[in-house]
Amino acid sequence: MGWLRHQKHALTAALGRLRAQPVSTLLTALAMGVAISLPAVLYLGLGNLGQVAGNLPAQPEISLFLDTRAADAQRAAIAARLKQPDIAEARFVPRDEALAALSAAQGLADISAGLTQNPLPDAWVVRPQATSRESLTRVADELGKLPGVAETHLDSLWADRLQAALAIGRAGVWLLASLFAIALIAISGNAIRAQVLARRDEILVSRLIGATDRYIRRPFLYLGALQGLLGGLAAIGVLAIAGAILRAPVERLAALYGSTFHLLAPTPVEIGAVLALTAAFGWIGAWLSVTRALQQVEAAR
Amino acid sequence: MINFSQVTKRYPGGHEALSAVNLSIEQGELVFLIGHSGAGKSTLLKLIAAIERPTSGMVTLSGQNVGRLTRLAVPYLRRNIGLVFQDHKLLFDRSVIDNVMLPLDIAGFDRREAIKRARAVIDKVGLLMREKANPVSLSGGEQQRLCIARALVSRPALLLADEPTGNLDAGYAADIMAMFRDFHQVGTTLVIATHDDRAISALGGRTLRLDHGRIEEVAA
Ligand SMILES: Nc1ncnc2c1ncn2[C@@H]1O[C@H](COP(=O)(O)OP(=O)(O)OP(=O)(O)O)[C@@H](O)[C@H]1O
Ligand SMILES: [Mg+2]
Repeated sequence: MGWLRHQKHALTAALGRLRAQPVSTLLTALAMGVAISLPAVLYLGLGNLGQVAGNLPAQPEISLFLDTRAADAQRAAIAARLKQPDIAEARFVPRDEALAALSAAQGLADISAGLTQNPLPDAWVVRPQATSRESLTRVADELGKLPGVAETHLDSLWADRLQAALAIGRAGVWLLASLFAIALIAISGNAIRAQVLARRDEILVSRLIGATDRYIRRPFLYLGALQGLLGGLAAIGVLAIAGAILRAPVERLAALYGSTFHLLAPTPVEIGAVLALTAAFGWIGAWLSVTRALQQVEAAR
Repeated sequence: MINFSQVTKRYPGGHEALSAVNLSIEQGELVFLIGHSGAGKSTLLKLIAAIERPTSGMVTLSGQNVGRLTRLAVPYLRRNIGLVFQDHKLLFDRSVIDNVMLPLDIAGFDRREAIKRARAVIDKVGLLMREKANPVSLSGGEQQRLCIARALVSRPALLLADEPTGNLDAGYAADIMAMFRDFHQVGTTLVIATHDDRAISALGGRTLRLDHGRIEEVAA
């Protein structure tokens, strides 16, 4: 019967204690907020980079450069090979067209004007049916061995490298987040420890007149969870401020690259997850701290 | 109800506060504990409430070996005991009524019921005018009465009172003792450590004398 009443009582007590010390509550929340915002910023940054990577040509292409001395029969054989079903699309780029495109590109007109003859080879731009890394490499290798092909180039390579780098970054985020979760537990534990010591008398007297450890611990656990929640809110505040500061310059940079890239804000689910995790870690820190302090307080009687 | 067999209590540092005490107190008895300062009166009461543990021998309360209780079990033992502390042990961060309500809170009482009960007992010890006051602002005797109110509010089956009238003038001491007599008459077991001979002669009951940790019955 008393369970719900005890919870309510403990929550009220915890809120009262937070309100009674607004400055230290605020400072602890800020310390937590800054600690959490570091991995959170990294996480969001990676999400944004991933968005950039995702906007790259979705279908990786293989460029096939022909030998300038390739015989017509070889050229015909290559064209025939590229009609097979494992190739989704193949576009022939004659060398003159390539040179014209090069001249049209800003700043390169002068260079091409100075050339006495066209140094570019004829080429095919090939989009294979399969998109996996291995099958792309296999197709590129096979095409490269065709007689009359001078060189192949797999355009997805740098996107792959970016993806690989992002994967490292994501692993890094989890590593960093784990470290900061520990920091969070430590910050919460420390704040709660101060509270426990300030309430030594109350704890001792309560024990003397029949309070269980659970009864004594409960308001401190709520206190830790609430403090963690405030820390989470502070972190989201830090992210919002960082986003507001970065948005304009990032979008200007993106515009210079002709991209309509926008900074991604955290989703409601992500915000909820941050708040839930910070509350949970605040709770854990409080539990560790108050359990330890309970033993010490009693022993020092 | 309470049984001591060959109980010795030696504090860290080597001082022997109780020596081979044998004692039996029946349910509903009213027992006075007298003796010089340092005789071991407080120690004896603390052993019953599992605040201290015997160095050797056995203390039982309603058949439970109090000295062997686990940390988890101790609170439930204490909820059946009203404790009046020699040094009051009040909380100065809350009002008089909140101090009295603490045991009811701990036991999970409904708040409205708790307030009603607390009020009644505060009235009995004559502090109703001060229920919202902070105990810091109370006189020594008032603090003592507050401590008594807190011990009585949960209507315990056993009351252990350590010098409950030490700071009280004759009038209040008599009132408090009259309260104890009322509780005694409804079947509460009381063990009262005191220097107050007037109280003893007023209430009668059984008297035990401690002398340097040794106990003896005082003939009525
Ligand atoms: N925690 C403690 N550590 C060491 N010695 C203690 C402790 N508590 C009490 N003692 C010693 O044990 C002896 C008995 O103490 P106790 O408090 O039981 O006496 P008392 O009869 O209640 O005295 P008083 O009438 O002054 O309250 C005293 O000599 C005291 O110094
Ligand atoms: Mg004493």
